[in-house]
Amino acid sequence: MKNRRKDTLISYAWSGPSLILIALMVVFPILYTAYISLTNMNVYHWFDFTIIGLDNYFRALFVFDSGFLSALLATTLWTVVNMIFQLVIAFTLVSLLNVRKVKLRRLYKTLLMFPWAMPGYVSILLWKTGMFNTQFGLLNQWMEKLGHEAVRWLSSDVSAFLCCTVVNLWLALPFMIMIMDGAMQSIDRSYFESAVLDGATWLERTRYITIPAITPIIAPAVIITVFTTFKQFDVVYLLTQQAGAKTGSGFHTILTYAYENAFITNNYGYSSAISMIIFILLLVFSARYQMREEGDR
Amino acid sequence: MKRLLSAFLCVCLLLCLTACGEKALDPAEASKLVIWHDKEDAVVAALEDYLAAAVPELQIAFEKKTSLTDSLKLVGNDPSAAPDLFIFAHDKIGVFAEMGILAPIEPLLEEGALVNFLPMTLDAATYKDTLYQLPLYFETLLFMYNRRYMQDEEVPATTDALLTYMENNTGRGRFGFVEQHSTAYYSAAWIHGFGGSIIDDSGVPFPDSQAVRDALNYHARFVALMPGETEYNTVNTLFLEGKADATIGGPWMVPSARAAQIDLGFAPMPAVDATGKALAPYSGVQGIHVLKFAAEAKTDAVRKLLSALTDSAIGIELALASGCAPANALSYEDERVANDELVQSMRTTAEIAVPMPNIPEMDVMWTVVGNLLTDVNLSGKDIDESFTAALAQANQLIGAMK
Amino acid sequence: MMKKRIREGIGLTALNIFFIVLCFVTLIPILYAVSVSLNGQNSLLSSDFSFIPHDFTLRNYKEVLFGENILTWFQNTVFLAVVTVFLSLLFAVPAAYCFSRRRFPGRKMILKCLVLLNSFPAILSMFAIYRLLRPMGLINHRVGLILVYTGTMAVFSLWNTKGYFDTIPTEIEEAARMDGASDIQVVWKIVLPLAKPSIITTALQVLIYVWNEYIYATTFMTGESKYTLAAGLNSLQATEMTGSWPVFAAASITVSIPVLIIFFLCQKYMTSGLTAGGVKG
Repeated sequence: MKNRRKDTLISYAWSGPSLILIALMVVFPILYTAYISLTNMNVYHWFDFTIIGLDNYFRALFVFDSGFLSALLATTLWTVVNMIFQLVIAFTLVSLLNVRKVKLRRLYKTLLMFPWAMPGYVSILLWKTGMFNTQFGLLNQWMEKLGHEAVRWLSSDVSAFLCCTVVNLWLALPFMIMIMDGAMQSIDRSYFESAVLDGATWLERTRYITIPAITPIIAPAVIITVFTTFKQFDVVYLLTQQAGAKTGSGFHTILTYAYENAFITNNYGYSSAISMIIFILLLVFSARYQMREEGDR
Repeated sequence: MKRLLSAFLCVCLLLCLTACGEKALDPAEASKLVIWHDKEDAVVAALEDYLAAAVPELQIAFEKKTSLTDSLKLVGNDPSAAPDLFIFAHDKIGVFAEMGILAPIEPLLEEGALVNFLPMTLDAATYKDTLYQLPLYFETLLFMYNRRYMQDEEVPATTDALLTYMENNTGRGRFGFVEQHSTAYYSAAWIHGFGGSIIDDSGVPFPDSQAVRDALNYHARFVALMPGETEYNTVNTLFLEGKADATIGGPWMVPSARAAQIDLGFAPMPAVDATGKALAPYSGVQGIHVLKFAAEAKTDAVRKLLSALTDSAIGIELALASGCAPANALSYEDERVANDELVQSMRTTAEIAVPMPNIPEMDVMWTVVGNLLTDVNLSGKDIDESFTAALAQANQLIGAMK
Repeated sequence: MMKKRIREGIGLTALNIFFIVLCFVTLIPILYAVSVSLNGQNSLLSSDFSFIPHDFTLRNYKEVLFGENILTWFQNTVFLAVVTVFLSLLFAVPAAYCFSRRRFPGRKMILKCLVLLNSFPAILSMFAIYRLLRPMGLINHRVGLILVYTGTMAVFSLWNTKGYFDTIPTEIEEAARMDGASDIQVVWKIVLPLAKPSIITTALQVLIYVWNEYIYATTFMTGESKYTLAAGLNSLQATEMTGSWPVFAAASITVSIPVLIIFFLCQKYMTSGLTAGGVKG
């Protein structure tokens, strides 16, 4: 009995620093937001706010109208599309990069990492003005050379969704490639060699060796990416919804929608309530998903 | 266990917050002033040089802060992290005054220091009958044209004439006139030209809704003759490459136009035929704001600084350094300022320009009007429906502020 | 035999061509920035754009390297990045090892919570973190930023390394323990070398986060001498009113180069000890 307690203590001592940091920088902001959501902290009571109970939550429900629902649907679709493309493309590229005889693979990998090495807002700006701009963007300059009409890439919902997806993939793939590549390195080569001797095709090797071997390793990174994709703000906002540079598309993720319909009010209590509701919504989503996962096993 | 402990830790920290008291001021510190800004280098250099000569006893540090308003919302009442003063446009005065971080300016000035200031700048800097900003200079949008393509006698005096000019000179990758037609800041000029406004002093959005709809309706005919996407990079490049004959733009466009060797002409804003009123753009008054704690703890230093900045000399310096239009009318008596075409055009436009509303409610209207313009101009939605939706959104957002 | 070799050769050439084309396509937006940065005119756009600028100049790079405080920013960033990466690993590895190998009450629940914490939209976290750092006097202080960065990346670091540790067979560790190795020795001498790929990916992710983060850096740090590269870059960003696009583009490219060099060098070490050793489990 004593031994077990000592064991537990040791475990917590080892993981303590990490957990405390998480508590401070990740959990505390959540608790603080929950606290603020119960107060009337807004422009008129910025430093002298008081607790007003659940008022903000009642009012926040007005934001969750049909616009919010369609944003929620669009965000779900966005997450699914982006994740599928990310996983398939990253997996294909990494498999090809790991073909034994590709000598320049280090150079290729490094060049493919470039999008990741730049701050996101810079890359998005480059895409928006350099690529998609109707008058001067490269895409339309090429279209014109090919004899086509100039296209307003970001102005309709569907094409804005696709353009945002391209940019998001461009930004996110390097990370996915690196994670998959790292995972791929961990597979013992001898497995492949014996599989080849047994006459297994590339597809069979992928199906029975590679994928099962890398799944547990990439799972954490993939799950975290699912969340960041769902909570995507920068790509969609900066490309299509930025104040003063809107492009006319109605594509919103839940966060850009909440931003436009709540966060800009400077009412911090109210915005916090909306953050908390989105948080709880996502919690329910992911908790249900987790339970299903466990049920499957 | 650990989770409990960390929760406990958080609570402790929260308590610390309230317990944190303010430090007493060291006398040597009292002559040090930190000023945040987000202005261009030429303006800051002019201010620094002028102040170093005018008030050598003060140690003044200008710090460029890119996220100035957001940072002030965080640290506004925290003397250890906030600046003593900051330079910004007047349109956030309402927000900061309501938050309670701004000190009224008038008690810090000598009697009569403001008599020569242009009334428009003082109106802009006043929120709920209190002056919260000492105006330094102002900006308005200007009607600019490229003399190579638009001759002086061709400059349209009315909007109908402008439309005719655009019809005759647009096509094959060229444009008669371009502006950022779907940005609230630029389109406000059209709404004002029709006698409407985005928000009134008491925070009611679109007080004259018919005027706004008329403006949108009429403006749409111009939008059809401009490129679809008109964020500022596009508009600037079109004008600077000589692909657009005329534009409505800010004074900040002038240096690059001159660098691009454009023979630049300035003209008064065209008048709307239906109302006889000129397109009246928003004006932004740039000035210095004093934070409350600095006004209390460093009163002497702040007084000296503000007194130096009410002098007409600083206006002259700023006008010469960066083409700013001074807030102090006396500055225009200087011959060099009087001969500066850009500065004079802004002063003329200032007579019709409307200072941006400085009430907190305006903060959400930028987005509402941006959405409305985008819906009408870019997505081709029905004007009446879009307007109704925008009005509803404005009311919802303004309601949500409190 | 000959035929097979020829076929292989063709396949390999095709693969190389594919990657060269892919790299080029990926880099188009960046080449765009390069072209803007080498251009003499202050414009992000132009109607006759070409990848080779018409008005070629290196002036913008000169301005970035000598005109701005870029060396100070570089030093600040390197300091922050090194400390943050070091701390992240120092905290994450023992915790990850614990969660991977040991069984203790609360383990499952904490792991589950770590996943769910990602659901929080952190868009409003700034205030909370400010309230946290201010009483500690860490606003406008490097240590504050290090805390924020390490904390923000802690969930990822812990979880990512734990995921990899789970796949390392325990047999070798047990053998080492039989020989009398302590926990620390086991982790240091056996687990870490085996987990090299995951350690490197984690470190790189933390490094790039620190390298590119500018929101906390610009809000919490005042004064250009305290900026990081990303924050400094942000202040160079040309807006409607001020700034120069070519200088901004040149700075963006300059800032990314060190990360790419580090990435290139790291790849040599990305292979796990597993492939070399004879562990079959």
